[in-house]
Amino acid sequence: MFQRIRSLFRGLASRSDFETGMPEELRFHLEQYTDDLIRSGMSPEEAARRARLEFGGMNTVKADCRQARGLHLFDELGRELHYAFRSLQKTPGFTTTALLTLALCLGSNVTIFAVIDAILLRPLPFPDPGRLVTIFNTYPKAGVERDGSSLTNYYERRGRIPACSSLSIYRYGTTTVGEVGSTEREPITQVSPGFFSTLGVGPAIGRSFTDQETTYETDDVVILTDQYWRKHFNADPHVLGHRIRVGGFPRTIVGVLPPGFRFLSSEARLYLPLASRPEDRAPSQRHSGGNVIQTIARLKPGATIAQAQAQIDTQNTTLEADDPQAKMMADAGFRSLVVSLHADHVAAIRPTLVLLQAGVLALLLIGAVNLINLLLIRANGRIKQTAIRQALGASRSYIVSEAVVETTLLTLAGGILGLIVGAGGIRLVAMLGADRLPLGTQIAFSAKLASFGLLAAVVIGVVLAVPIAWFNLRSHLTNSIQSETRGATTSRAAQRLRHGFIITQIALALVLLAASGLLGLSLERAMAVSPGFRPDQVVTGQVSVPWNRYPNALARIGLTQRLLNEISHQPGVTAAGIINNVPFSGNTGKSAASVKGHVLRPGESPRGHYSYGVDGDYFATMRFTLREGRFLTADDSHRSSRVCVVDEDFARYYWPGTSAVGRQLFEGSEPGPDSEAFTVVGVVGSVKQAGLTDESAQGAVYYPYVFRTDDNLYLVVRTGIRAEVAGRTLQSLVRRIDPELSMNDFRSMDDRIADSLIARRSPALLAALFSGIALLLTVIGTYGVLSYAVTQRRREIGVRIALGARPGQIRTQFLSLALRLLSTGIVLGVFGAWFAGQAMRSVLFHVRPSNMPILGGTAAVVALMSVVACLVPSQRAARTSPMEALTEL
Amino acid sequence: MGKTADLLPGTLDMLILKAVSLKPLHGYGVLLRIRQISGDALDIPQGSLYPALYRLEHRGLIAADWAQSENNRRAKYYTLTAAGHRRLREETAGWNRLVSAIGAALNTTPDEV
Repeated sequence: MFQRIRSLFRGLASRSDFETGMPEELRFHLEQYTDDLIRSGMSPEEAARRARLEFGGMNTVKADCRQARGLHLFDELGRELHYAFRSLQKTPGFTTTALLTLALCLGSNVTIFAVIDAILLRPLPFPDPGRLVTIFNTYPKAGVERDGSSLTNYYERRGRIPACSSLSIYRYGTTTVGEVGSTEREPITQVSPGFFSTLGVGPAIGRSFTDQETTYETDDVVILTDQYWRKHFNADPHVLGHRIRVGGFPRTIVGVLPPGFRFLSSEARLYLPLASRPEDRAPSQRHSGGNVIQTIARLKPGATIAQAQAQIDTQNTTLEADDPQAKMMADAGFRSLVVSLHADHVAAIRPTLVLLQAGVLALLLIGAVNLINLLLIRANGRIKQTAIRQALGASRSYIVSEAVVETTLLTLAGGILGLIVGAGGIRLVAMLGADRLPLGTQIAFSAKLASFGLLAAVVIGVVLAVPIAWFNLRSHLTNSIQSETRGATTSRAAQRLRHGFIITQIALALVLLAASGLLGLSLERAMAVSPGFRPDQVVTGQVSVPWNRYPNALARIGLTQRLLNEISHQPGVTAAGIINNVPFSGNTGKSAASVKGHVLRPGESPRGHYSYGVDGDYFATMRFTLREGRFLTADDSHRSSRVCVVDEDFARYYWPGTSAVGRQLFEGSEPGPDSEAFTVVGVVGSVKQAGLTDESAQGAVYYPYVFRTDDNLYLVVRTGIRAEVAGRTLQSLVRRIDPELSMNDFRSMDDRIADSLIARRSPALLAALFSGIALLLTVIGTYGVLSYAVTQRRREIGVRIALGARPGQIRTQFLSLALRLLSTGIVLGVFGAWFAGQAMRSVLFHVRPSNMPILGGTAAVVALMSVVACLVPSQRAARTSPMEALTEL
Repeated sequence: MGKTADLLPGTLDMLILKAVSLKPLHGYGVLLRIRQISGDALDIPQGSLYPALYRLEHRGLIAADWAQSENNRRAKYYTLTAAGHRRLREETAGWNRLVSAIGAALNTTPDEV
């Protein structure tokens, strides 16, 4: 076998040698034989004649020789390809339509598959990534679905969960990096010592962090990413031991990560040890996660998530035995969940992506059905030709392979165009913000994707060939040559098939259109939600405040006062404020507050609320609505007055029907013996912290900034100046106040809101695009089939018109056929759309899956477009001239 | 051609292998050699000789090389490969078994039954 294949390839490679050698060899034979015959006494003419006669037909012998070498298959393929190419060339209209259909359908599949592959399918870039899990605390009854892990959790679990071979924590952040005056805000990640070994990828140069480096006194070390190392150290291999200033402190470089290292979607340039104090790790801090610190763990080989989950549950139960907060946490529905790291990271976007993939597959189906219909019509046009060729001895396998070669040539060409469309589509989804999806930066056109696309094209080619080959094999000589252009059984079966396909197409297009309508309406309704403030003309930016220069709240308040003072004197600034977390920042951590005098009802658990520290005219800058009392002002921070403002959700929950002003509350879930209460001085309208579609109404408390200072703050400025310009002004102003400070992430509030809708807007736009294509394909398909039906029955129509049928009757006949197909398609489509809507439930917002205006509207659009597509051929039928129709053919 | 016997199906390949095994030959030489070693009893249809040669070459049983012929012309010479030797041995043994079996069957007399 191997020998043969080798010989075949040698034969192919030296095909020209073979083709020149073979005739020479045969000629040699003939001449030798002729010579021998002459020598035996024959005349030269007679000898030559005799030799040729005995040898047999030269061409037959040559063909036999080629066949013996296995080369005939390539000859045949070449011939079929040539034939297919010529026949496609002869029908440019059909070929163009088919190629465009394939390019669009395959292109959209390539695009969405690129996204799905990057986000859902490709394993995380770590060894044995299937064993990586994340563990997080959840308190569903307190309205806190996700609270990360606490330091206490980490120190209690490390090495004590048998199913996990290693367990680590990390915390995302930003900090200022660089020398005084040239500092930059850089994303960083703080990690526990085992972080890199849990992932299975360690530094390429140097070492990981050690357990000794987890205190504030000893954490002055840093690991660089390859990117940072190349940019700032020119890839210097002797970089270990150098010091760089991070957050105002010098830190020694102990390691450099390998190129391409990237943890999930993290943008971190530097990795720092996650330091803490012993009191942060105390049992009392067990539930103080705040969704800031996250856990990752690697399962032991053979261990399952369920085993790890059971061990975590057991440990939690054991620890709760002597935990005074246990009862309260149990009421809040506390549990620690173990989930696959990859699945957890992409969980939010998965349903949307799966939906989009289903959408483009439906589109591909519509396109394929369209092609089959067009191909069947074409095959029917060539029915006599096929029959004659069969009668002349074309074998069944030849008929089949001819169909396969033709459709595959077509789909392969369409596939190549589709790859181009797909590459464009990938660019389009990047423009729509796909790189901001989890793992979205991995979306790229790749060789793997291209081969997937071409493979799909070949498969589709073969699938498309099935009905064509079936049709061609059924066209028998007697039937098709004797019969009129229509009426033969084959064409009637084919006609039924075509009509079935049209119905499928209409139904699928309707489903796609309705689904995209539901997505669009959801987007519209989400966009119509008020964020609770006036986002126009608000510019925001983040400042990192180094801990060593501003070690305490007073120093920080001094800084914020100076910042606000300077900013409010800038031209064009109407108001300015400071807050530790703006709405739509992506940070949705909540913390507990306890209301004085509020007794938990049975089954009620303490609630997590958004907690803010505000300074300056934050409320006025954002144009919050004041429901009661007054806003907080800069004075409250300045004087450290123990006052606060709550939002209306908070007020309604704790003091329904009565005034909230004058009430008191404490920070934290349980007031300590020496904690002082905050007095509510005002109630403001609630804002959408987690996004426009968040309807949890968790409640919020705003404290004077002095009580909630942080190493990161947001400047919020109301100004008519564009965000980028205002950003530059603000940055230089911040630098002037303190050259160690740096500021970035300038964005208008409008942009932040728009960005928060990306996971909704981009799919809606894509779905609209896909359903538009689907509708177009359906119109083309319907037009093609009806138009063909008219052409096919031209003689019959001619006879009927000659016998006195009115054009109106002819038109009605064709229109009623069209309407029959259309109505069946629409009924099926409406059912399909209803099911699709049910499947889409999780991605809809304030839209019922069976939204009547959407269903009715899309049905009307599909019906209208299809009727228009049918009117043209019906009209042509009605205008048939009997003379022309009867004299042709 | 009256005195020549028709070839049994499948025997042409065997005869070619045998002819080539004696000495490297060109196509026409194969034809002559088979005639000669069969005592002019077997005549090969000339048209089917070359496809058979190509088939055997394709299967790696014989190898071909261009060389000068006895009358100084370029000709393609065939030699037996190792695989060809093996095949020839197998086919010869198989043929002999077949012949003796059929011979025994045809020579059976009534009293041997």
